[in-house]
Amino acid sequence: MLLINNLVIEYPDGLRAINDVTFSLKDGENIAVIGANGAGKTSLLLSLVGILLPQSGQIRLGNEVLQKKNLRRIRSQIGMVFQNPDDQLFMTSIFEDVAFGPRSYDLDEAETKERVANTLKKLRIEHLAERSPLKLSGGEKRIAAIATVMAMEPEFLLFDEPTAFLDPRAKRNLKDILSDLPQGKLIATHDLLFAEELCSRVLLLQNGQIIADGGVNILHDKELLETAGL
Amino acid sequence: MPDLSTRVREIRAFDSLAAGKTVIHNLNPLTKILSTFVFIIIIASFGRYDFIRLAPYLFYPFVVMALAELPYKLLLSRILIVLPFCLLAGITNVIFERTTAFTVGSIAISFGVLSLATIMLKMYLCVMAALFLIATTKITDLTKELRRLHIPMIFVIILEMTFRYIGVLFEELYSMATAYKLRSGSKKGVNIKHIGSFLGQLLLRGFDRAERIHTAMRCRGYTLYQVAPRRRKISGLDIFTLVFVCFMSILFRVM
Repeated sequence: MLLINNLVIEYPDGLRAINDVTFSLKDGENIAVIGANGAGKTSLLLSLVGILLPQSGQIRLGNEVLQKKNLRRIRSQIGMVFQNPDDQLFMTSIFEDVAFGPRSYDLDEAETKERVANTLKKLRIEHLAERSPLKLSGGEKRIAAIATVMAMEPEFLLFDEPTAFLDPRAKRNLKDILSDLPQGKLIATHDLLFAEELCSRVLLLQNGQIIADGGVNILHDKELLETAGL
Repeated sequence: MPDLSTRVREIRAFDSLAAGKTVIHNLNPLTKILSTFVFIIIIASFGRYDFIRLAPYLFYPFVVMALAELPYKLLLSRILIVLPFCLLAGITNVIFERTTAFTVGSIAISFGVLSLATIMLKMYLCVMAALFLIATTKITDLTKELRRLHIPMIFVIILEMTFRYIGVLFEELYSMATAYKLRSGSKKGVNIKHIGSFLGQLLLRGFDRAERIHTAMRCRGYTLYQVAPRRRKISGLDIFTLVFVCFMSILFRVM
């Protein structure tokens, strides 16, 4: 389980991006994080992988509290998929990109290759293995970016605007793939329909604070959504 | 003149070449680093008029290129980048050293010309050797091996980051130049009035993008000061290659 307790994240300029946020993500649970631009969705995700370290509060993965000294281990257990897949695909081929994580964790070459092959197969993109990221469509890039994280076999997955840049067909494909993944997922999105189809719980964020936490019925509460600037 | 998208592809081409599976690619990176180092040192040790004595070393590029299945055109285009600097360094010799060194038929070759030719040949051989190393070894393997050889970390990091981000910078430049072109009536290049803000924006966007990529790398376990893991096993072929390159290089040097 991923536990977030009274989390506060401040940027060096004093801007409080996350303000006293508390929630938990159970194994296999899918939670949508909804909020207007600048509500703190990305900051929340970045803090869960220790890119932004909390000023106060605590992030706990199982029995382990996220700290500087265990960041490497935590990052192998919590995988983050970025909004722009181009930021995540920087090697020459998809195979190399997917292998980047396992190699960073010093897995031997045989195991790395096995993991890459299994991941590509699971996500049904084996045919992209030798392709350059530069030559993929938006939908293919998105799935490949997920593969780069999946190869590390994380317990939890964080998605920042996963449907950005996708056409409806690619979006449907992505939804099918994500619903097949057993990991607990935290999905920051503006796409309310996508959130409703995939998640059982919704966190509504405004100015770095959770203003609603509940079932997908939140997504139908027009007044609440308008309050949150959506 | 190739456009920017071609340049982006060319930069990434070395990454693709390094992913090859030939006998040269499969050599241990340490073997390749040491062979290249020895080769370059020996080439650099030749005198300024040793053009003829350098000729046997021309076999090296041809043999490696054939074994590693590298495209000559791409490598040559990289060498052309260095060419003006060598010409600049050697051209003064042609002017000041006019004494005849030897004659070919009725043509007198001066020491200046001989010296220029030697500089060019040295440059060709050294740059080719360095390009072979990059084109047949993944940058990650190369930097891991350099770390193991205790090369100061700062040099290794600069090499790694330059190689990784130069492509990123070009991609940003490409998208900015395309957007500019579409709104500038398809005029060629960037107007001098806009160069300042264009380059400033490019720098900022480059920083921003590099930051995001670095974040994505960190999320997958990358650290700048990562200790290199176990060394790849050195095979008989590695030892043979290293000994052969060193032996032949030294042999031609003392002959």
